[in-house]
Amino acid sequence: MAETYETRGLRRVFLELWGFIKNSVGNFFSLEFLSLFIPLLLLWEFLPRWNILPESLVPSLSTVAEKFWDMLLHRDLVFHIAYSMSRFFTAFIIAVVLAVPIGLLMGWNLKIRAYLLPLWQLLSPIPPPAWVPITIIFFGIGFRMHTFLMFIGIFYPVLFNTYQGIKDTDPRYLASARVFGASEFTLLRKIYFWHAFGSIIMSLKTGVAMGLVMLLIGESYGGRAGIGYLLGQAKDYFVIPEMVVCMAILGFIGWFLIEVLKYVEIKLAVWKVGR
Amino acid sequence: MIEARSITKFFSVVNEKGLAEGLTAVLNVSLTIPDGKIFSLLGPSGCGKSTFLEILAGLQAPTDGEIRIDGSRVLEPLPSTRKEMEAYKRRYRFISPVANGVFRDHPKHDIAMIFQDYAVFPWMTAIQNVNFALKLHKIPRAQRNERARFFLNRVGLAGVEHKYPSQLSGGMRQRLALARALSVEPKIILMDEPFAAVDALTRERLQDDLLKIWGETGVIIVMVTHDAPEAVYLSDEVVIFSPGPGTIRNRISIDIPRPRRRSDPEIIEIQDRIFAMLQYDLDQESEYSI
Repeated sequence: MAETYETRGLRRVFLELWGFIKNSVGNFFSLEFLSLFIPLLLLWEFLPRWNILPESLVPSLSTVAEKFWDMLLHRDLVFHIAYSMSRFFTAFIIAVVLAVPIGLLMGWNLKIRAYLLPLWQLLSPIPPPAWVPITIIFFGIGFRMHTFLMFIGIFYPVLFNTYQGIKDTDPRYLASARVFGASEFTLLRKIYFWHAFGSIIMSLKTGVAMGLVMLLIGESYGGRAGIGYLLGQAKDYFVIPEMVVCMAILGFIGWFLIEVLKYVEIKLAVWKVGR
Repeated sequence: MIEARSITKFFSVVNEKGLAEGLTAVLNVSLTIPDGKIFSLLGPSGCGKSTFLEILAGLQAPTDGEIRIDGSRVLEPLPSTRKEMEAYKRRYRFISPVANGVFRDHPKHDIAMIFQDYAVFPWMTAIQNVNFALKLHKIPRAQRNERARFFLNRVGLAGVEHKYPSQLSGGMRQRLALARALSVEPKIILMDEPFAAVDALTRERLQDDLLKIWGETGVIIVMVTHDAPEAVYLSDEVVIFSPGPGTIRNRISIDIPRPRRRSDPEIIEIQDRIFAMLQYDLDQESEYSI
């Protein structure tokens, strides 16, 4: 409503950014977490340094940080990240644009469900990595193959969670809207969707996790760029600090995307806040 | 005027042996409700009164019989022969018979319905909830806010327009449901145990407010309840249902002029009669089951 969004323009953007940072990074600065996290970081730094763990196998925190800086300057790390992420987002957007509407329709209508659901139930148990050989034959190695593999990973969790959320919509909400004369399309937009909103966001989080798994699997089968490729190279040359840097970057990307989704949920599902 | 002509509702259920079994929820119920009256449907749980109310609202098709509101039929009954059934299934292949249409919002009758657990949408603020109903009734956007505020004020919800239902108390949520129902100026308000989930004091206040608003608008109110004092205090006629199968057991019209007092001896006497009747049914039932 008008009263709550009075700040506009650049100021608003900064406010939102600040809100996002507070919500995401804020968790790290609680006393409870820091009292666990700082000792862990210190152990990571000093166990290898004092040779309690072999330095050659367990690189210390500072070694990893140095390696990260080195890769940033000399190994085009930013390019590799952008390369992987562009594919990831292409796959993510295609999967969400297809899976959410299909899930909506399947949850809404018994007949559509009867046509479509068995198909997904047959296809979804195939583990996504099992698609790799046939995808390579069809698409070759490259953009289309990587995107398709990630799509397969993201599509099913989003589809099934959306479907489940829609199907579980409380019939009383539907009944009271129907008595007021709501058409089925209005029900989908105003009732089903918002009732299932929590499960849809949840499904997107699962999708992010599955997409990152498929990103690594796809890029480990050839390709000349990407984080998966860097990780593969680090493995071939046995450079443990580089492996750790790649792992940390992947972890960061997953964490960041999930925080973005959480923030979207807080912003759109205002009614759930303060419950 | 609502006319229910020999309404029967039959369900297939699966019994404990895993076999299909017939269940008659409502059997041959006929009832005429004239304009401007409050009717209560009273009875123990499982006596088909809620099913009957949903049939009135057009949320379920009756197996037999029909509901007419001011002469126009609410929903066609389910077909009785196999051939008709096939045609019916073909016609409603993609969209259920209770749906209003795929894209066009279209209130079929001037009905509003209020449920026990509010059924106000938790993802909309109070005013958005009312606006939602107004939009479905084709009220132009420019008038919606003003009209919504008017009805929120009327039920005593001024100042909480922008609160979400989760931030309101149980009684306030029920008032919101009432405001939303009133905002479309319906001819009929159906209530399914509207005050069952609020505490006793709030319930009495809500009942008085309902009577006041009813006095100003003169809508038909049909209320399902299992609270005999509530039914007697509010209604012009109490229709008592008995279970297994759900039929009308008795009808008691109450001609005490309003405003009534809850402690009026006449009201107490009618209450006692109803209690005795329900108690008798329960006793018979337990004897029968032994």
